[in-house]
Amino acid sequence: MNPLRPAIALAVAVLLVTGGPALAARPTPEEVELTWTQMVLLLTRHTATYSPPVASRTFAYLSVAAYEAVAAGSKDLQSIAGQLHGLTPGPQRDAGAAYDETVVLEATMAPVVKQMFDNTGPTGLRAFAAQEAKLRAATEEGIAPDVVTRSEAFGAAVAAHILDWAKDDGGATIVNMGFPPDYKLTPGPSHWVPTSAIIQQQTPLLPDWGKNRPFAMPVGLDCKVPPALPYSEDPSSAFYQQAKEVYDTKNHLTPDQAAIARFWSDDPMLSWTPPGHWISIVMQILQRDHVPLERSVDTLMRVSIAEADAFIGCWQIKYTYDLVRPLTYIRRVIDPKWETLITTPPFPEYDSGHSVSSAAAALVLTAIFGDHFAFDDNTGQPDGLNPRHFSDFWDAANQAGISRLYGGIHYRAAIENGLAQGRCIGAYAVSLKTWR
Amino acid sequence: MRQLLLSAFAVISMWTASIVGASAADPLVVPHFADETKSAGIDSVYAGDWQYMVGGGVATFDCNDDGFPDMLLADGEGKAKFYRNASTRSGPLHFVEQASGLELNALTGAYPLDVDGDGITDIVLLRVGESVVMRGLGACKFERANEAWHFDGGDAWWTAFSATWERGNAWPTFALGSYIDREQEIEPWGHCTDNWLERPRLVDGKAERAFADPVVLKPSYCALSMLFTDWNRSGTPSLRVANDREYYRGGQEQLWHIDPGQPPALYTAADGWQPLKIWGMGIASYDLTGDGYPDYFITSMADNKLQTLATPAAAGVKPTYKDVAFPKGVTAQHPYDGGDPRPSTAWHTQFEDVNNDGLVDLFIAKGNVDQMPDFAAKDPNNLLLQGADGKFTEVGQQAGIDNNGVSRGAALVDFNLDGKLDLVVVNRRADAQVWRNVTDTDNHWLEFRLTQPGANRNAIGAWVEVRTDKGIMRREITVGGGHVSGQSGWWHFGLGAAAKAEMRVTWPDGTVGGWMPIAADSFYIVGPSAQPQAWSPG
Repeated sequence: MNPLRPAIALAVAVLLVTGGPALAARPTPEEVELTWTQMVLLLTRHTATYSPPVASRTFAYLSVAAYEAVAAGSKDLQSIAGQLHGLTPGPQRDAGAAYDETVVLEATMAPVVKQMFDNTGPTGLRAFAAQEAKLRAATEEGIAPDVVTRSEAFGAAVAAHILDWAKDDGGATIVNMGFPPDYKLTPGPSHWVPTSAIIQQQTPLLPDWGKNRPFAMPVGLDCKVPPALPYSEDPSSAFYQQAKEVYDTKNHLTPDQAAIARFWSDDPMLSWTPPGHWISIVMQILQRDHVPLERSVDTLMRVSIAEADAFIGCWQIKYTYDLVRPLTYIRRVIDPKWETLITTPPFPEYDSGHSVSSAAAALVLTAIFGDHFAFDDNTGQPDGLNPRHFSDFWDAANQAGISRLYGGIHYRAAIENGLAQGRCIGAYAVSLKTWR
Repeated sequence: MRQLLLSAFAVISMWTASIVGASAADPLVVPHFADETKSAGIDSVYAGDWQYMVGGGVATFDCNDDGFPDMLLADGEGKAKFYRNASTRSGPLHFVEQASGLELNALTGAYPLDVDGDGITDIVLLRVGESVVMRGLGACKFERANEAWHFDGGDAWWTAFSATWERGNAWPTFALGSYIDREQEIEPWGHCTDNWLERPRLVDGKAERAFADPVVLKPSYCALSMLFTDWNRSGTPSLRVANDREYYRGGQEQLWHIDPGQPPALYTAADGWQPLKIWGMGIASYDLTGDGYPDYFITSMADNKLQTLATPAAAGVKPTYKDVAFPKGVTAQHPYDGGDPRPSTAWHTQFEDVNNDGLVDLFIAKGNVDQMPDFAAKDPNNLLLQGADGKFTEVGQQAGIDNNGVSRGAALVDFNLDGKLDLVVVNRRADAQVWRNVTDTDNHWLEFRLTQPGANRNAIGAWVEVRTDKGIMRREITVGGGHVSGQSGWWHFGLGAAAKAEMRVTWPDGTVGGWMPIAADSFYIVGPSAQPQAWSPG
């Protein structure tokens, strides 16, 4: 059993799998929201184009769709149209007409997931179809036909509106899994070069992702970071020293440091990815605390937008400095046989994407749930990773950041400056006005 | 880039071509294959939906003692088809479909072997549902033997198989690999079903001629290929398992200790085994480096892996492998023709010498899982020729086997006994294909069968060495690997220009035979206590 699936959603899962009549209760809107979000986590892991930036984009559009669908029928929430770049006011509900929130959410989220994962494999398509069919049948059970029809039409309209908004943000089409075959590497020892013999990864991932339309943060890089340290192979230089720190740290890891590196490794196609990891954390909290619908959609939307903006902002930095990875530098200058603990990602080093996105998420979640909000994270348990306890969101974000140094894939500057950039970017998601 | 170079420098004649490979002084002899599917009488499609997205195997074996390999093709949700080989020596390929008892539905693949040591080939049928072991009756007739041999065929999506005879046993040990829990419709990921080890049943410590209840190989990670292989030349084969990372959680490729009298146990990091997480789909093995140890080619999606021992054996053999696919030129990452830049999807794989130049080559069956848009849609099968420098050059297009199909299982086998290996390929939702190797070459060859009295009649687990003035070639005799496709019968070596050679067998019990002279371009029956017996068709 996937520990991400909480008790509250378990009933839905059982219903979906068995299709039997044992469960009399219809799924709640919260259960529909989390069930589809869970499906996106699954599909993210099992769809070849879903690198971390791509995953963050999908989570953002899906969560905005859910938010807008719920906000349109809420006394307390307001639309965020006009607050996000390019998002215009969406469909409105018929005044005085009855809608069922469960049906609305189902009809909103399913088409978005379907469109975002239209390139997944046969198993993903099969899983989606099965979940959609069973969830739709379950949500409609016992609801007046006119309400079902009206609610489905509204949900579908919201989905169409969001998908139309998404199509021209720059991230809709992923070619060659994000590795442009015609990309020309920047010459010079300070710049990124491939770190594996995988042919597809001889060019870096998504070099133009930083040009995508952001969600909440300003167009054009507002959250800047200090320049990367000047490249040098002189042992007395700051650059050499930061590489030496990576080398020494990785070579003398404590068991807990190694566990931390693996816990936050979040490799594409072998995990939910870094943004998915934070979505997983949010889901665990929403389920643990039985967070009601309006706060739930607000939370997932803000975190997802912060994540998506974090990857856009981080990718702008990455391709500004195009910095060589520790693996390359250390083998060139310090130890030709050195190995990292975790796999070096196939794109430039500076700054650290996991650090940027983790800080952005931590800022948002702290704003919502407050300081000293302790939680356990079971994200990696299905893959044999022990749960970890965190005293608050910053405890988790800082650990996610330093995990990249333990793993041997980032210098300290990329982590510290990445965390700072994430705080800056996350503030834009925090500042969204959602509550009336 | 390589393709551009080949296009620029290849000189292609009607039947034969030579390519200036990495070793300019030693041009490659490019084989040529003629598609004889229609004229050969083959009409078979591996059909079915989700539960047949993997599988699609072919088994080749001689079941009527004429020396010509017959063939069973999996048809997925339809009934398998058996084809008797009616070819004549060196003639066009010709098959006749006939009833054999093997015509079960839901086949994913099949592996032939002589289970009961009666000299008649039996066959294990992997299925979606219950797997079945079929006892050979002679004259290409078979009967179900699950009950008679106490073989438990389970109820799973069976996708991998290998067999060995553990030392001292008169009955084989089977490893069966399974895939996804078919009941998990919404969340199949993370639901790999159990792989099984079926060993001989013991009574008073002695192995009976029947199987014991299965032992679960936990953890199981959605196996798509298995191979009992003596990776460290200890005399005790281990079980190599290729696993599909798409569906496991916390999994990796596996190597199991299968020590006589002991429960199976995984090799671990403490042994030197290093995690590798790929879409493991097929296994081929051969001693490419000449160090006496098998190297392994593992098929996957995108880049494939060629593993060789990371440290010289002299330093103590550890199961630590380095991937040399890139420097050897066998990553086979994306289609070599058609211009599709998307990554490939690789399935069956096999090392054989297709041009008889004395250097083993590599075949890879390719095909999209099922219209996955991020992977190549037209994914031609690979034929990679080894050059004198140990590097491989793609010649699939020049050789005529670039079918742009959706291939799965396959076999390189000498159907017309002319000493040149022909090819059969199973395609998903498309016709299976056969090609006759019509390469015009003066290179020589050797084919042989091993036979020994009693159990393990065909000496599974033996090592065969062939020595010419160019050096020693070496291969392990196995049942398993590839992608749900097994072969029994003649084993083949190319001899290059050598008109004679010597061969030596290390038998499964560890007995090392002497070097035996053999004439090129001949078939031999080889036993442990006599000189090789020449054999001729008819």
